Amino acid sequence: MSIETLKLCGIIILLAPLAAAVVAGALGTRVLKSQTHWVTILGVGSAFTCSCLVFNQVVGAPAGESMATIPIYDWIPNATASMFRVELLIDPLTSLMLLVVTGVALLVVIYSRDYMRDHGQPERGYERFFAFLALFVFSMCALVLGGNFILLYLGWEAVGLCSYLLIGFYYDRPTAAAAAKKAFLVNRVGDFGFGLGILLIYLTFGSLEYTAVFDMVSRGVDAAGNTVPSSTITTIALLLLCGACGKSAQLPLHVWLPDAMEGPSPVSALIHAATMVTAGIYMIARCGAIFSASATAMTVVAVIGAVTALFAATIALVQTDMKRILAYSTISQLGYMVLGAGVYAADSAVFHLFTHAFFKALLFLGAGSVMHAMGGIIDLRQFGGLRRVLPWTFRTFVIGSLALAGFPLFSGFFSKDEIIHHALTASPVLGVMALVTAALTAFYTFRMVFLAFWGRERIPEGVHAHESGGWMLAPLMILSVGAVFAGYLGVHAVGGGFHEFLAPVFEHTFAAHRHVTHVAGVEPTLWDEYGLMVVSGAIAILAIALAYVLYVPQRWFPALVKASAVRTHRTLWNKYYVDELYDAGLVSPARRAGRVCVGLDDYLIDGLVWLATAIPRGLGYSARVLQSGFLQGYGVSMVAGIAIIMMFVFWS
Amino acid sequence: MNFEQLSMLAPEFTMLVGGCLALLVGATSASQRAQLVSPLAFITIVAALLMTLSLGTPESAQVIPGLWLSSLTFYVRCVALVVGAIIVLVNWHQPTASERGEYMALILFSLLGVLLTASSNDLIVLFFSIELVSIPTYVLIGLSREDSRASESAVKYFFLGALSAAILAYGMSFLYGAAGTTLLQTSGDGASIAAWASHGVMSGTAIVGLLLILAGLAFKVAAVPLHVYVGDVYEGAASPITGLLGFVPKLAGFVALIQIFSACQWDVPDAAYWAIWAMAAATMTVGNVVALLQTNVKRMLAYSSVAHTGYMLVALLVGPMAGHGPMHNGVAALLFYIAVYGAMNLGLFAVLSAFARRGKPIETLDDLAGLATVSPLIGLATAVCSFSLMGLPPTAGFVGKLYVFSSAFSLGAEHAFQKPLIILAVIGVVNSAIGAAYYLRIVASVYIRESDESPTPVAGHPVRWGIALCSIPLLVLFVWPVGLLDTARQASVPTNAPVHSVKVVEASGITSAPNTTPPVLLNEMPFAAASRD
Repeated sequence: MSIETLKLCGIIILLAPLAAAVVAGALGTRVLKSQTHWVTILGVGSAFTCSCLVFNQVVGAPAGESMATIPIYDWIPNATASMFRVELLIDPLTSLMLLVVTGVALLVVIYSRDYMRDHGQPERGYERFFAFLALFVFSMCALVLGGNFILLYLGWEAVGLCSYLLIGFYYDRPTAAAAAKKAFLVNRVGDFGFGLGILLIYLTFGSLEYTAVFDMVSRGVDAAGNTVPSSTITTIALLLLCGACGKSAQLPLHVWLPDAMEGPSPVSALIHAATMVTAGIYMIARCGAIFSASATAMTVVAVIGAVTALFAATIALVQTDMKRILAYSTISQLGYMVLGAGVYAADSAVFHLFTHAFFKALLFLGAGSVMHAMGGIIDLRQFGGLRRVLPWTFRTFVIGSLALAGFPLFSGFFSKDEIIHHALTASPVLGVMALVTAALTAFYTFRMVFLAFWGRERIPEGVHAHESGGWMLAPLMILSVGAVFAGYLGVHAVGGGFHEFLAPVFEHTFAAHRHVTHVAGVEPTLWDEYGLMVVSGAIAILAIALAYVLYVPQRWFPALVKASAVRTHRTLWNKYYVDELYDAGLVSPARRAGRVCVGLDDYLIDGLVWLATAIPRGLGYSARVLQSGFLQGYGVSMVAGIAIIMMFVFWS
Repeated sequence: MNFEQLSMLAPEFTMLVGGCLALLVGATSASQRAQLVSPLAFITIVAALLMTLSLGTPESAQVIPGLWLSSLTFYVRCVALVVGAIIVLVNWHQPTASERGEYMALILFSLLGVLLTASSNDLIVLFFSIELVSIPTYVLIGLSREDSRASESAVKYFFLGALSAAILAYGMSFLYGAAGTTLLQTSGDGASIAAWASHGVMSGTAIVGLLLILAGLAFKVAAVPLHVYVGDVYEGAASPITGLLGFVPKLAGFVALIQIFSACQWDVPDAAYWAIWAMAAATMTVGNVVALLQTNVKRMLAYSSVAHTGYMLVALLVGPMAGHGPMHNGVAALLFYIAVYGAMNLGLFAVLSAFARRGKPIETLDDLAGLATVSPLIGLATAVCSFSLMGLPPTAGFVGKLYVFSSAFSLGAEHAFQKPLIILAVIGVVNSAIGAAYYLRIVASVYIRESDESPTPVAGHPVRWGIALCSIPLLVLFVWPVGLLDTARQASVPTNAPVHSVKVVEASGITSAPNTTPPVLLNEMPFAAASRD
């Protein structure tokens, strides 16, 4: 396959979902109606096919040639700055991300065909949903395919917009509207930093092209050959990290993701679990040259990741809303990935991103299936013992949970273990935090499983519970296959070549620095690695067993804990009061300031504006006098105008 | 002149024949035959467009001494025919069947005038072409609706148009007197205005001539102080034909200005330069300020059209070759901008003509209230066109303004007019901000304001297609402006003649002049700094 074919594939990956979005949006309400999903399936399906072709090409590329920058066109021809070029970057990282994005998206779209129906009838906004979904796939592909920071930023903002539109899909529900607004605003905070970071890159290096910038960063010089101070690099990295914190819901900007569960479940699965929220990790991995050049920034990245992972896992322990538990678990798992990148193991972070996409999408879709069967109820206190009611949902959900919990030999086990291993080597504190998080993860995941599927069968009144149809079950099954086996791609023992595949991307960035940090210590022996595997596997099994003991035979334990540790429970239940803190510290003052501003605006500014516009308005009125409507007047004013010009020219 | 040369004029002949056929078909009284007129006009334009495309960019070629085909001809043909086809779509059901033959024929003739303007190489041909553009429009306004206001504005437009034609012809006579020839360019050593301009300093007579020509064309493009008619004329004419009025004469006027200035080697005396400078500043400001006060949408768009003329004059002033920067070709910026302007302006007028409120055509902002709820897609198209007129991304209007103003910023420090042009660009940017205020009122009317009685759609499918064809390209051109821009760049540099005008070697970016013109002149051109390295 030549570069031209690659270019064509890249263009199709971008344009097919975009075209689907336009067609679904334009023709959905009138023509396609309840068949709109076919358009999106077709668009995303073509993108997926092309992603497979690209992936195949990258896998088969000879060593050292797996990266290609493909210019599409110049936005402004003959421009001096390369920022005006539309170009694609295709390398192992991109091709892998494309596969994840389009693959999960395709399954989610298929799943949504039934999910977005009520008793076989499409919900209101059915076609809007599929149009937005296709638009999201386009934006996300643009984000990962873009060959410079401008396209990255465009894609970054576009996925944010799609996320906003889809969280607020049920816009007549006040909670959904508020959640959408919150997600958008919190992301603005992160994006502001991200935008500043990109500006600083441009100011420092005079270019926004990945290859050019990363080359200069790795040599430590700017375009003119002057040395760039390391503090600048650190600032750039920290600003970019701001963006990652917003998009990937890391502390302290994590607050939007749990609320984002107001959107339909397929949206949670696709955007808020498998793809969009991993954009931050993708960005850190892509900008590895920048991040790994600053040890300070890397420390910050690692600490934020580890703290977020632990923090979110503790909150998930006490929540009762299945989707919120999964949301906190997503935050926690994203914390793992950030931690992985922060300890120079970006390949492990991307590996975890890859396996996480399978099992977390599976879990969200499973939760959606439960919700669908329970008539929109997702609170664990209101139902239970669904094992026999929803047999297939149950089986796939358990597979996903085992993967998430890090149960030995499931996909999450391998990828998480790698990150824990690298964290332990980098710093014992971070490693222990990661291990504790792993235990908590296994516990809360199976708390949820046991509460929902085990015990006495309880179904909310008036709900006719039923297993979902084939459109919904098929994606669940496909994803559960991935949730079991995706991890083996990273295991050398069974011939998995995941890390070798990604190696060209990171060999000069993270990987190079990782070896440097290991010079002082000793290269970890095989025993260290397998020992850790045994430990983390045992931790997962023990935590699951504990959850079984506590939640299945008799359910006196939760009440006891709640009674004995009231304060802790309440703190966790209220998510450490972060929302309240923001509300008191930021939102309320901002709102008060807003009210002051409105007052100022109404009286002071409007007055000033009125004064300022008085001049043009006065001019306008006097001009209007001239516009009397009389032909003679017009003729005279025209000739007078010419006369004035003549006088002006010959007099001066 | 042989057949091969004549075949290069195929688009013009097609338009002529199509126009005559439309007249004939329309003259037959059977009303079902009148239904054929609009499709006939549309097919004629599409056929002319296809011929233009198959002819491609001609090597500069003289057909007869008065007509000269060039890359400018190609560009203007494409733009005029594409927008012209949309104009026919928007006017599809205009006016009553009995008059539709004349109506469509006049539209075709007016477009034919634009095509000829772009290929004329002689002051007299140029004058006739311009009048061929204008005269049909006088009649079109009167035909456009059964309303005394339409007749009034037709009469006003006619008389003032006649005045401006007189001024234009007067100015051309001065130029002829100074240069001794009416021919703009020649391929050999023969007498032409280009040859005259490259050899000597301009006399007072020539400057008077140039200024009068400028004034006469300022009427066509609606520049201050010859803009006074726009409010009344636009308001009086029916919306579909107002879309034509805002574009076709403006295109012809600017193309004629480009022709004249390039014949003068873009070498204009300082005093005249300042006159255009003041004209541009005044045009932008007056257009926007007066538009702010309007509640009648058509009047508002009339003055907005004046304001956009001002922006285009900035680009004209920069000339074809300024200094460095991402966009250093004012004429290319102008040509790009006017094509975009044609689409966005026509789009809004098409929206106005697609609705009625209480059985009457849309006139005021109140009439537009609640449009988006009635017809979401047309509401969206209105927003796209308005945002484009404002110059906001993601629309082509943004790219157009970016090109126009950055061309003004791109002059090198050695250029005498570097600072004044930057000031002019700043005035333009401030004006864009003022302009946003009234365009936003249109969007607010369509989307936010509620109305006890929403507008009702009256348009047939052709008008809807017209709206779509105006607004979708605005988005596409934002993402991918290069195709149109490259054509505009090619059109901007060697306008007519290969010998006397300046050629830019694209590949190396080096400006070179043929031997017959002293190269020294390039450095002395105040209109355009020659350095492009």
